[in-house]
Amino acid sequence: MQHGFYFDHTRCVKCHACEIACKSWNEVEVGPRWREVVKIESGTFPDVRAMNVSMACMHCGDAPCRSACPVTAITKRAEDGIVVVDPDKCIGCGFCTWACPFNAPQLSAAAGKMEKCNFCQTPGRERPLHLPRACEEICPTGAIRSGPMTELARLGRESAAARLGSMQGLPGLMIQAQQSFGSGGAD
Amino acid sequence: MATAETDLAAELARIKQARVVKSFCYTCPWQCPTEVYVRDGRIVYHKGNARAPNNIGSRCAKGMASWWVTEDPDRLKYPMLRTNPKGEPGRFRRASWDEALDFIAGKLAGIKEQWGPEAVAFTCHHDPNTVFYWHLLRDLYGSPNMYTHTSGCEQDRRSACLTLFGHVFPMHDFINSRYVILWGMNNLGANQGLWESRELIEAKKRGCKLVVVDPNFTETAQKADEWLPIRPGADGALALAMCHVIIEGDLFDRDFVSRHCEGFDGFREHLRERGYTPEWAEPITGIEAGRIRRIAREFATTKPAMSAIFKGSGYYTNGADAGRACYLLDAICGEVDKPGNLVLKDWAPLGAPVEIPEDAKAAPSKDPLHVAMGYPLAPDLPNSRLPDAVIDGNPYPVKGLFVQSSNPVMSDPNRDRVKEMFAHLELAVTCELFMSETALESDVVLPETSFYEQAEIRQGMWKGPEVVLCQPAVERVGEAKPAYEIVKALAEKMGFGRYFPYEKWEDWGELVMKDVPMSLDELKEQGFWAGEMRYHRVPEGLPTPSGKIEIRSKQYEDAGFEPYPVWSERSVKPDADFPLQLTHSKLSMHCNIITQNNPLLMEICGENWVEINRADAAKYGIEDGGYVIVESPKDRIRILARVVEGLVPGCVSVRHGHGFGHWAMGSVARGRGAHSNNLMETHTSPVTGANCYNECKVRVYPAQVRADSRPRRR
Repeated sequence: MQHGFYFDHTRCVKCHACEIACKSWNEVEVGPRWREVVKIESGTFPDVRAMNVSMACMHCGDAPCRSACPVTAITKRAEDGIVVVDPDKCIGCGFCTWACPFNAPQLSAAAGKMEKCNFCQTPGRERPLHLPRACEEICPTGAIRSGPMTELARLGRESAAARLGSMQGLPGLMIQAQQSFGSGGAD
Repeated sequence: MATAETDLAAELARIKQARVVKSFCYTCPWQCPTEVYVRDGRIVYHKGNARAPNNIGSRCAKGMASWWVTEDPDRLKYPMLRTNPKGEPGRFRRASWDEALDFIAGKLAGIKEQWGPEAVAFTCHHDPNTVFYWHLLRDLYGSPNMYTHTSGCEQDRRSACLTLFGHVFPMHDFINSRYVILWGMNNLGANQGLWESRELIEAKKRGCKLVVVDPNFTETAQKADEWLPIRPGADGALALAMCHVIIEGDLFDRDFVSRHCEGFDGFREHLRERGYTPEWAEPITGIEAGRIRRIAREFATTKPAMSAIFKGSGYYTNGADAGRACYLLDAICGEVDKPGNLVLKDWAPLGAPVEIPEDAKAAPSKDPLHVAMGYPLAPDLPNSRLPDAVIDGNPYPVKGLFVQSSNPVMSDPNRDRVKEMFAHLELAVTCELFMSETALESDVVLPETSFYEQAEIRQGMWKGPEVVLCQPAVERVGEAKPAYEIVKALAEKMGFGRYFPYEKWEDWGELVMKDVPMSLDELKEQGFWAGEMRYHRVPEGLPTPSGKIEIRSKQYEDAGFEPYPVWSERSVKPDADFPLQLTHSKLSMHCNIITQNNPLLMEICGENWVEINRADAAKYGIEDGGYVIVESPKDRIRILARVVEGLVPGCVSVRHGHGFGHWAMGSVARGRGAHSNNLMETHTSPVTGANCYNECKVRVYPAQVRADSRPRRR
């Protein structure tokens, strides 16, 4: 059963707590950023819009990073679809960083290896899947949820749920659609 | 996905092989209750206290990264004494606690002898256990000048709340609101109470309309249904015009104002006489009259509703009345301390940690500084006027200053003047975690413990009555001590030791908790106590002179100010040479001046920047991501520029102005970003004594252009 994240950008206030929670639970040093919040702005004054997105590995159905890895260090776990990297195999070549469209794989200068979001499955501190992920647990506004994609689909709209029913090869991420957001000059 | 919260903490602790300490986070003053996971004396994880209403398990970035302070190699480890003359960058030697406290006690005795006890003042920002210092220096030594940092924060808001509602710090009941107007308040971006952020987002989901009035398209404006890009310093004009629309349109709450407000009829006449119409406000605010009318009507006819401010309007000399006007929208619409309104929060029945008999207390012979300075309505010391007292003896000499967990050399406007003040002090004591910029100007620097290494019991910052506890989770750094031990030791040197009889923190903790319906032991287990949240204060009578909401303020009148809010222009406006208004806004991942030595936060945001509207950027040749010079008539800084659409043309906005550009503190913070507080001259709110950070005009040009090719200063 594919696990993934659900992200509601109408809730995200770009506070970055999820980034530090991820680092703190998984004990990641400064440098690699397994999760990163970005802001996308559009419009012209005074009709301005902005959207925040908290990005991490999407644990893709057909993960491009896995195909790009020359030493088969990246695997997709059969039981939950989580994409993990084996540090003993990784040679730090960075091919995966070129293949990933989401900038999820991070090269650790200290370790000379790739690392990334492993759904809080860092050896020695694996979070059982029935618990929230660290990023999810810390989010003040409840913007991030995790779980089996079939359950997450219920959080989204029905149309999205229908599409997800057949998700093969898609990223393991749902983004809440928004009907309208901040704008000035309404008169 | 669902797991019982108690099981969650236990399960996380098992995975992390850690024990859990219930505590609170004191990175910022919102004090979220926390669970700290400690293994082998190190903090290996932490999260919010899942049961606490403040944060329900969540945290912010600053709080999540705050464990770093327990391992930061730049922490102060020993008491330090200055070895070179004041006025030069400080050089220090390590001293014993005994020697440092002897030095302080000797100086305090000398100052009292020659100048009187009021010549010693105390200021703080984060006020961990500050009350201990106050019991010693106020009750026993006899100085009335025990202050915090409010003039650099929400002084105008606090003053407005006190004079209108008789309440020092209202909370926001967003969750029950249907219409919210926020004025210069970026609570989603600057991360105030996490419960407020969550409730505002939830309210939005339920259909609450959010209007944000701000020159900046802030993180909060981003979530708004409408952003009103108001010109800087014009909030008061907009709010008064909206009051005019509501009253003339007969949309106010007649019953509420007749029963619970003082001076409504006079206010209606005042608005008419002054002509505060939407058409009048349009050219001042840059908001069309039709839009002002529509929003005023929506606000008055949608219930429950809330109009709230925090700092923004107070960064100008006209901020006091702007704040009052914004809150008068609540008052005339009957939207005070009911569900969905500003909440006049109840406080927990906390006791004092020491019992000082009345006959042992010193009676001050002089007025406190803020009164003597001519700011009787100031809820806290007008910090920007403290140099006048120290340097010029005006209104009376101040010779000694205690600074605790605060950094006025960086945080107060007009840095030159603040540094000069320190050179004139006979005794400057800084109690700190780091060798800060203010510590460098001091005579004695005392290392305090961080909130992870000490105990504290405080009022919680939730909307109901609440107590929060912080308790030691890890070993102390070096010889650092908590305030309660420093004060006890200093009191012994000063001959007051008998009033601080506690041996361990639980001794005073019992005293503090004696009237709270929870034992100290249970508090140590739970981390907090929360009472019933009630909406009851308005009908029961408010602690104002009339017992009602004072639309007409007797306190203002008695102090010689207009009893109703009036519109006045801000003090500094751009001109041909300096064509842009300098404004400031904050960041979510940094707290004021204290988080810039944290590499986890600096990875997310390692320097501050100035934002400029695209049209202005084109005019002045500014490129996004380039470095620019921001120059005022007084000083100039080199800073990263970001070209944005979300900013009113004609002004620039330094995001996190006085938190960056450290020249001390620590190896991570030093030299990153730019410090903007020397750009402005000293401007002080004439009513409240607030620091006016935005009273400054600047020009901006690319950094590679040589400064001497620009027009000369006049």
